[in-house]
Amino acid sequence: MLVSRLGRGALAVWLVLPLVPLLLWAAADRWSAPALLPQAWGTTGLAEARAAGAGPAAVRSAVLGTAVAVLATPLGALAGRALTSGALRAPGLVFAVLLSPLVLPPFAVALGLDVLLLRLRVPAEVGLVLLLTVAAIPYTTVVMRAAYAAHDRHHDEEARLLGASAWQVVRSVHLPLLAPAVAGAAFLAFLVGWSDYVVTLLVGGGRLVTLPLLVGAAASATGNDAQVAVLALSAVLPPVALLVVIGSIGRRARR
Amino acid sequence: MTAAGRPGVGARRATLLVLPAVVPVVVVVGAALTSAALLSLGLTPLVGRPELSLDAWRATELGTSIRLSLAIAAGATAVATVVGLFLALAVTAGARRSRLLATLSSLTIPVPHLVGAAAMGLLLADAGFLPRLLGIAPADWPALVGGRWWIAVGAEYAWKESAFIALVVAGALSSRVASYTETAALLGAGRWARFRHVTLPLAAPALGASAAVSFVYTLGSYEVAALLGRPSPEPLPVLAVRLFTSIDLAARPQAAAVAVTTSALGLVAVLVSLRSLRRLAAEQ
Repeated sequence: MLVSRLGRGALAVWLVLPLVPLLLWAAADRWSAPALLPQAWGTTGLAEARAAGAGPAAVRSAVLGTAVAVLATPLGALAGRALTSGALRAPGLVFAVLLSPLVLPPFAVALGLDVLLLRLRVPAEVGLVLLLTVAAIPYTTVVMRAAYAAHDRHHDEEARLLGASAWQVVRSVHLPLLAPAVAGAAFLAFLVGWSDYVVTLLVGGGRLVTLPLLVGAAASATGNDAQVAVLALSAVLPPVALLVVIGSIGRRARR
Repeated sequence: MTAAGRPGVGARRATLLVLPAVVPVVVVVGAALTSAALLSLGLTPLVGRPELSLDAWRATELGTSIRLSLAIAAGATAVATVVGLFLALAVTAGARRSRLLATLSSLTIPVPHLVGAAAMGLLLADAGFLPRLLGIAPADWPALVGGRWWIAVGAEYAWKESAFIALVVAGALSSRVASYTETAALLGAGRWARFRHVTLPLAAPALGASAAVSFVYTLGSYEVAALLGRPSPEPLPVLAVRLFTSIDLAARPQAAAVAVTTSALGLVAVLVSLRSLRRLAAEQ
């Protein structure tokens, strides 16, 4: 069609090229300019990243991402169900309100709320989870609204006719049929918590060190490219692995 | 559509279902914006007596930062939109190679912008991978990182957002574009005519909406400009965070003024794009 083979190649290069030096640096012990490939391969970057505390930071990021996913996914699912029920008053307005965190810069919300959280003596961790959950609600709502809109309600009616309770319908009809959407919504919410930088920086005041904070600190220093690369990769690989798992859940559900 | 015949969900129940999501959003967004506005007006100082004043608004060089932030967001979004459209076209073309391109594109989505910034630094710095690849000595390489034109910052946003735009546009195109283009081809439309009169109108709403989302995101995003930009002048988010984390408590109201300004700009951008998207829908 309009995009030629050459264009396809250029697009593939555009997508992949920024990640190439990341992969090479992660395994380089020595790589001084102008050599195209590292002169010495090794695990210096890994050792430096571990010494910087990458392990505990990754655990903190995973806990944060999980907490956000556990909170934002059911809230988005409930909202998505209500928005597609046809029974909600002013669904357009409600949807706009739920999407509003997408429009507002995260740093502005964190900055405004930080003062308030300090005054109300809310622990930084609680405030952080609250803020990131609100930031994740637009994503979970959009995904679950689309899923419920495509959901065939005759299944519900049949189950009810066969004597299922409302809760049994949710558990035995909705959950299995909507599993791919729930997984997708939870993944996006996890990503919000896992990869957040500026909200953690402002609300955590630098005391709560997650993986992105380590990446930011390492990347703003110079001469530690191997460490930056290892930290950056360890911030990317877990979500990519999750994405592959979720993709396989989706494929199994479609079969 | 009415609730009649639907098991379970009545008006009251629908409201109850949506409240657990609406309440935290309204409370957090409302409280944050109110608190920032009051702080910027001197009404909630951390020390001293509350007094209404516009000092914080006058003290900061908002004009320069606004222009810079808008320019970065506009430039990066323009590149991301063009590349994203071509990516979407290539992905939906149905060729065997488009599968690979789709996979590469979707793998870019979960990469955090911060990691993208670290990667762009390693790629575009004067001893980075790209000058080595092109065989250019560090001394002859232009200052893309921390330079005058914010190239590395723009490149990172363009790179990440192009994959996002491609994802949205490919979703909109995939279901319909093949049959329409085939019909147009049967009717004798050339390549360019098919693109101009079939593909582009089909893609336009998704393209416009995703471009607006990525513009607003870029406008309010901190980490990429903080890592790859130059120290001065500062884009709005960098200015706000520096003022907010400075030891000078008097700078906090100024930080709040920058936060309110950025939020207002984002809101205006969304309203403008919603209006033009609606006009687009009316025209089609």
